[in-house]
This record gives sequence, structure tokens and C-alpha cells, in this order.
Amino acid sequence: MVKVGIPRALLYYQYYPMWKTFFEGLGAEVVVSPPTTQATLAAGSSRVVTDTCLPVKVFCGHVLAMVDKCDYIFIPALRSVKSKIYNCSKFLGLPDMTRAVIPECPPILDIDIDINKGKRRLYQYIYELGRHLSRNPLKVRKAALAAWQAHREYKELMINEGLTPPQAIARISDAETPPPNPDQPAIALVGHPYLLYDELINHRLIHRLEQAGYRVLTPEMLTPEQLEIAITRLTGQPYWTYEEEVVGCGGHYLESGVEGVIGVIAFGCGPDSLMMDMVQRQAIKLGTTPFMSLTLEEHTAEAGIATRLEAFLDMIQRRKRIEAKLCV
Amino acid sequence: MRIGVPHMGNLYIPLKALLERLELDFVIPPVNNQHTLSLGVRYSPEGMCIPFKLTLGNLIEAAEAGADTLLMPAGSGICRLGYYAKTQEQVLHSLGYNAEIVSVGVSQRKLFGLLEVIKRLSNNAPWSKIISAFRFGLTKLNVLDEIERAVQKVRPVERVKGTANQLFAQAVKATEQADDYKALKRVKTDYLEQLSLVERDENAEPLVVGIIGEFYVLLEPFSNLDVEKELGKLGVEVRRSIFTSEWTKFSLFLNPLGVNEKDRLHKAAMPYLKRDIGGEGWESVGEKVLHAKDYDGLVHLAPFTCMPEIVAQNIMPSTKENIPVLTILCDEQLGKPGMLTRLEAFVDLLKHRRRAKVKV
Repeated sequence: MVKVGIPRALLYYQYYPMWKTFFEGLGAEVVVSPPTTQATLAAGSSRVVTDTCLPVKVFCGHVLAMVDKCDYIFIPALRSVKSKIYNCSKFLGLPDMTRAVIPECPPILDIDIDINKGKRRLYQYIYELGRHLSRNPLKVRKAALAAWQAHREYKELMINEGLTPPQAIARISDAETPPPNPDQPAIALVGHPYLLYDELINHRLIHRLEQAGYRVLTPEMLTPEQLEIAITRLTGQPYWTYEEEVVGCGGHYLESGVEGVIGVIAFGCGPDSLMMDMVQRQAIKLGTTPFMSLTLEEHTAEAGIATRLEAFLDMIQRRKRIEAKLCV
Repeated sequence: MRIGVPHMGNLYIPLKALLERLELDFVIPPVNNQHTLSLGVRYSPEGMCIPFKLTLGNLIEAAEAGADTLLMPAGSGICRLGYYAKTQEQVLHSLGYNAEIVSVGVSQRKLFGLLEVIKRLSNNAPWSKIISAFRFGLTKLNVLDEIERAVQKVRPVERVKGTANQLFAQAVKATEQADDYKALKRVKTDYLEQLSLVERDENAEPLVVGIIGEFYVLLEPFSNLDVEKELGKLGVEVRRSIFTSEWTKFSLFLNPLGVNEKDRLHKAAMPYLKRDIGGEGWESVGEKVLHAKDYDGLVHLAPFTCMPEIVAQNIMPSTKENIPVLTILCDEQLGKPGMLTRLEAFVDLLKHRRRAKVKV
């Protein structure tokens, strides 16, 4: 059986069920790289120039971890998923860049995803991708439709049940996940999934919050409509592909009555440097919900994150106490 | 209404000519200096690139001088440029300036989009006036670039170092003051002649270094710490990949007609980078492949945290076509002595390489 490797980084958290269904529909076996470790990160950063952002370094590490474990590696070049809205250059150049920095990489299955070129072109690309695994166009079509269905179900699962992507992926593969407790006070995390759910690079941020007795809300739990309304309020027309994860989600949670909002960005991230700034400005303007922004990079120390988190949670507690006093 | 514009190299001269001919009220902020940079750095989001910081500095200085309508280039390219205006407007408002930013879309509607913006700003001046003003601006731009090309050739071989730079500074001033086509033509012939008369070292065979990379840092000497002049001092002839006049010629007039000057570069880059990644990333890789034979080396300029150029930088070492590349990342932390040391080392390396080639 042909083995297709999917690195557990970047777009994995958004699209994994879709990709898995597609490739399995074509009779391939899907292999996912193991969760990020310090070694993954070190291996990845040794290949790229220093100014490359942390998530891309992690991505290269994951590709390296799979070099001799699969026949193909799937790396899409995701240019645009909505009309006139584009993605960061690093996503566009990802297959070419991986090929350049990891020459020993197995053949890369790349696909250009660009809605602006029209649906017809997109379908062509999907067939071209499927042709690597199956000569039968009908089989490709069937797999693609099943994949789309899986993706929709995945999204709905996260919105309806308030699950994070790793929880939803676990649920799809029938593992038990404890249901979130709606009575707990909530803290919202704002940022790209590859930062929020990679436990190594964010030093188990979600786990820490849960330990402190908070329920964690993430961008995936919001409906597209909620995100769109928030984006329109903050910036008018969206510009980046994943703007809703940051600006939309931040804008929504800042006014939704959560205890606090934490923005997570990677150092040197181009789009985020602007988008998180938008959210921060909005937080200052509203002045109702505490906001903290965490910048992650290779040198981010666990102790640093823990200290800042503690201080932030202490502040929320103190605020609550003062408010309670005022009410009496 | 008072119009303010940000800087990019000598672009303010043609812009000034254009706005003057349309009889509009405008301010040109002081040319980029340390104060502009500090203003920009202080009020920009932390991780932004130097073009944002400098243009923000310009806009603040323009608003300070009373401008209420600020022109800012925008485009739905793939880099952050399309988001500049939104954020800069917020910064200006939070600083208490009541200025409006008009984004001038350069990538979508080409010439007509630009002309329409001018029409709107000029309170519906007749088209004939707009077009004549626009033409005059373009002519100034062409004159400046033509003189600059000549300067680039003279710099490495002149006997008395600094002559060409001096002449260029005078030429820029003279172009700024010229107020009709005749005067402009005189400036051009006059300075080209003076440059050709500069005493040269006839035996010199200067190294040829291509300057490639991101648009703004290439064209704004303040942001790249005069890398061209410094290379000139070291006796290196530079060939810059982007000139504003060429860029306007193609992107405003020829690209809509289907002529694309960049096709050559894209084709060259194809084996290594198959798609447009925004900004000038694709072109940078193409330049390396294309000029590996005819240049001695390349200086690759990019703003710190520039997304497309980082991808290009990652891909460049893997090309079969081999040519030394020195990448310089520009931001407010870039120091002149550090850059000079690197340039000197790079030029030494190129000299050795050339000598080795001659021996073989």
C-alpha cells in the first residue's frame, strides 16, 4: 500500500480529517508524524535560514521525521480559500521551500489551492493530485466528495460541541474526550491552530489553563457568521486567509463576556504582527476584557510562559474580587 | 484639503511635479532621516517591516505639517502592503491626527485606477490637465533614473571618489527645479555629459554585483544604508534589478497589454519555485538563476521579517546555478559598521573568485 505522509504541523489542525479521507478513499495509507518534540524543532531549524518563523521550522522538523517512513509527502500550496483573500507567502512557497531545504524528502504531492482561478481549475488540480494514486477519475471524484463531507462534519463537530481540533480528531477516531464543563469561567485563546495546539511550542498552554480551573475557548468553536460579523466590525474587508482566526475571533471574544483573552503569535509572523495589533487596539478601546499577547519563538522558556500566565490569571481574580466588592 | 505623501527614494520629485501642475495644496515630509525612523518605530506594531515603519514616520510628519489626506500605495499583493493603510490610519487616529488615508491601488486597476484617484483628489480637474501633469511627472522620473544608471557606471571607476555622487545630488536638485520639458532635457544632457567627462581609471575592471530583493528597501537608500554608494566606494559596479521608471512603464502601461517583463525571471525560477509567493520572492530566485553567469555576485536586500524574501532566501542556496549571494536584512537595528564589514568581506571573496577563474 502506498504511504502518504502528513506532517503534524501548520495546516494539519484545520484539514487533517479531510486529507485523511481523501487519501484513504484513493487506497493509500496515511501516516502522520509524531507530536512535536525538542528534537523535531532542532532538526527543523537546522535546515532553514534563521529568520524563518517558528511554525515553519517545526514543519520542516516534521517532514524530516518522516523522510524514510512514507512514499509521498503531502504539502499543499494554499494560496486562497476565499475570493480575493490571500495567504502568507510561506504557505504559498511551502512545497518549493521544503524541496529546497530537505533534498532527501520523498516526492512531494503538492496542490495549488486558489479559489480566484475558478472552481474548474480547482477541480483540475484535485484530479491532478489524485492521479498520483489512482488512474480512475471517478474514484478521485468520490474520494474528494467524501473528503469534503468529512471536513464539514469536522467543523460542525467543533462548533456544536465546543471541541478543539485535537479533541475533535480524537473523537473522530473514537477516543473518549471529557465533555467541556460549561459552568467553569472561560478564557479565550486567539491565534492560529498550529500555535494553539502544538504543546511543545506553546508549553502546554491549554493544559495550564485547564489546570487553573478555566474552560478554554478557541477560534474553531465559533460559527463563520460570528467571525464574519466581528471582522466587519474591526477591519471592514478581510485581507488574509486566516484573518478570522485572529481578528474575527479576537473581536468576538472581547465582547462575549469571557474572563480574559490571550493572543498567541509567533515571533516574526508577518500577518499576525498586524492582525494581533488590531485585536490589541480593540481591547484597549473597549477596556472591558483583559487581554494578553504571548509571542512564541524557539527561545521562549517554559518558566517565562508560566509566570506571565500566572500574573494574568491573578489579575483576573483580583478584578473579580474588586467587582464583587463594588456590587455589595 | 492638503495632501501628504510618503517617501521612497527620489519618487517625491515626480510626485511633487504632478501635484504642482494640478495646483493642489500638498506637503512633502522631510526626506527619511533618523527622526522619521524613530517616529515610525515608536508607533508601529513590534514585528512590522521597515517599509511600514518609515512610511508611517513620513505620514506622521506629513500630518504634523497639516496634511489631512495622505496617499499610501496599496495592493492586494500577497505581502503585508495591502494591510498597511488600515493599520497606519488607526495609528494616526490614536495619535490624534484627523487624517484620511487614500490607498492608491497599484496592482488591480493599473493606470486607470491611479488616474481615477488623481481625478478625485484634484476636484475633477479636466482629464487633459491630469494627463499632461502625469506625463510631466513621468518624464522627471525617467530623467532621474537615466542619470542614476550613468552614476552607477561611473562610481566604481572614478579617480576621485565621490565625484559621481556629488554630481548626482546636483542633478536631483536640478531635476526638482526644472519646470518644463525643455529645462528637463537640458538637465539630462548636461549631467550625462558631465558624468561622461569624469576622470576614470581606464584599466579598472570593476566587479559587477546585482542588487536584488524587496522593492522598497532597494529603492530607498536610507533603509539600506546606502549600500549602492558603499559598494561603489569599494570599486564595485552595481546593477539594480528595479528602477521606479521601468516599474511604472511596465505595471501601468505594458502589463495590461499583456507584455510582462518578469516572465523571463519566472521561467528561470520555475525549477526551484513554481508559483508566485507575493512581493518580489519569485523574482529574487529568478534573478539568481538568470544572472549566475554574467554577474560576479548578488546582494540580496530584504526587510527583516519580510515573508516572501525569507522563502526566497531559503530556496536560493539550492539552485544549481552558482553565484555568491549576500543577504542583508534591513531594519532599524542594522548598523553601518557591521554592514560595511560584511560588504568588504563579500567583495574580497568575489575578487578571489575572479582571480581564481582567470588562472584557470
